[in-house]
Amino acid sequence: MLARRYIYRVIGLLVLLLFVAFFGVPLLWLLLAPTKTDYQLAHQAPLAFGSLGTFIHTFNRVINYQGGLMLTWLKNSAIYSGGGTALALLAAIPAGYGLALTQFIGRRTLLAVTLVVMIMPATALVMPLFLEASAVNLVGTAWAVILPFAFFPFGVYLAYIYFSSTIPKDLLAAARIDGAGEWGVFLHVALPLARPIVALVAFFAFVGDWTNYYLPFVMTYTNSEYPVTVGLQILIGSAPIFSPTASGYAGSEIYRPDLAMATLIGALPILIIFLFAQRTLVKGMLAGATKG
Amino acid sequence: MATVTFKGASRIYPRAKNPAVNELNLEIRDGEFIVLVGPSGCGKTTSLRMLAGLEPVDAGDIFIDERSVVRLPPRERDIAMVFQNYALYPHMDVAGNLGFALKIAKVKKSEIKTRVAEAAKILDLEDYLDRKPGQLSGGQRQRVAMGRAIVRQPRVFLMDEPLSNLDAKLRVATRSEIAALQRRLGVTTVYVTHDQVEAMTMGDRVAVMKDGVLQQVDVPSVLYDSPVNAFVAGFIGSPAMNLVEGTVGSEGVAIGSTVVAVPRALKDTAGTGKVTVGLRPESLELAGEGAGIPAVVNLVEELGAEAYIYARLAHHVDQATFAATPDFIVRVNPKSAPKSGSAVELHVKPDSMLLFDADSGARITAA
Repeated sequence: MLARRYIYRVIGLLVLLLFVAFFGVPLLWLLLAPTKTDYQLAHQAPLAFGSLGTFIHTFNRVINYQGGLMLTWLKNSAIYSGGGTALALLAAIPAGYGLALTQFIGRRTLLAVTLVVMIMPATALVMPLFLEASAVNLVGTAWAVILPFAFFPFGVYLAYIYFSSTIPKDLLAAARIDGAGEWGVFLHVALPLARPIVALVAFFAFVGDWTNYYLPFVMTYTNSEYPVTVGLQILIGSAPIFSPTASGYAGSEIYRPDLAMATLIGALPILIIFLFAQRTLVKGMLAGATKG
Repeated sequence: MATVTFKGASRIYPRAKNPAVNELNLEIRDGEFIVLVGPSGCGKTTSLRMLAGLEPVDAGDIFIDERSVVRLPPRERDIAMVFQNYALYPHMDVAGNLGFALKIAKVKKSEIKTRVAEAAKILDLEDYLDRKPGQLSGGQRQRVAMGRAIVRQPRVFLMDEPLSNLDAKLRVATRSEIAALQRRLGVTTVYVTHDQVEAMTMGDRVAVMKDGVLQQVDVPSVLYDSPVNAFVAGFIGSPAMNLVEGTVGSEGVAIGSTVVAVPRALKDTAGTGKVTVGLRPESLELAGEGAGIPAVVNLVEELGAEAYIYARLAHHVDQATFAATPDFIVRVNPKSAPKSGSAVELHVKPDSMLLFDADSGARITAA
């Protein structure tokens, strides 16, 4: 019996290790790539370590590429994602609250529509959105990216689930009797209790916006407007090894370790935000709301 | 302070067959403590929520003082409510919970502080003002919920089973505290409970409801002594009134084969035929052989100062009716309580028998 349990454990562990290797090795490779020169990357073992000096050198090359274009892209990403997330929260949290805890004509229809657009691929909407933005002369401005980002049905749905499952209705009734109007009930009672869901929706919205490629690709025109995702594509385009026709200005050539470094720099903000958001996500705010 | 008047107030839930509250008529006097009581689903909580504005009124009207409130949102009705689950704001400390309504009403900060301190003193919450509800015991939470109501100084208090989440001992203590507090403040109070002991001990008047219909509203002693129907008779009183089938004949009312004499005037209105006989546990006493209704003692419940015997009437001790008929409960002197299993005879004390129509359950009274 004991031996058998031991064998199951070992098999389980092996399966887990296999998955860890499958998903972990590419990440490790990405981390190690900028430590090597282009030649080393091509000729050394895939997981070999180059040198810390090369890593720093690669970092400086990427940051200083064409007079700090990478920083402009990061700044653009921050504006687009930050603005989009703020607007998405402003819309999604009250909308979820309204769908969950108030009664109005068309509530069920609206909920169904939310679900439908939630499962629709966002890419499918990019072309019509472009035509719309073009019609009102927004293309090429930050609003052409931020306004579509504000549309976040998944966030509405998350907020709806949270409000309908965790806020006791008597709590809202108590606030109404205590003299609060509908906005007061939302602002003083529902919203303070919704901090975990605000954090979660903000996190999903921000990650979605930050990693979105196709929408800003369509909506923006110039290097100075691109976010980091589109910028990465520009970098790949100016690497001679991928685009032989790319004209290499002296000193502005891009090599493969540079691309890996740019990817790491582009993903870093998400990592940092995740670390901050996670704390709020696990906070149990409802202890003692009712009998418990 | 105010009067409250329900005028034919009804609530019909969508898709429901019967109204949850059916044409409720009830006049509550200024400063009165009225208790709505009944089994679950009788419409008592719905009635309270209609008064609070949390439930629409589908027909009829509700007045606070002379003003109809059915179209007013809860916040314009100047009422305070204590919820069964207390519904404390979990993100605010006790002081924040107590002062919330005043903050919303834009009362000056200094005055909020004074009034919160007053309420905290009355309810013995002074040491807990900076605690969150999650850090309080059940009894303390209950007091915060009460405090939140009294800080408001509203025209009407509404309480929805505020003691049901407390343990038995605390419930009895809090019961008298709430009643005393209400008398001291003199605020008109509507209190909902399913516990008839709570209703009888706390209410100036008690309104008994069943299936959305108000059965009777009166002071506790009248409900006990003169219930209008068999339902109220069986619901009010602990232990419950014994209800048994009887037949009115020329000599009196026959229970099994024993005939119990009834006053002539009562017998005249009762006519002849089947009736439901109501007998309180204290309306019966043990009698000598051949002098009463024969029964067999199933169980003796000794409570110290008194004892109750649960006895099966002799004519019910057959297989067919055994499960359908409950035991007869009789209050006896604990010093001379019979042993379980022994045969006894039960004598009905004069003029203590109530008669109800066998079909409608309505009380039959002397003309």
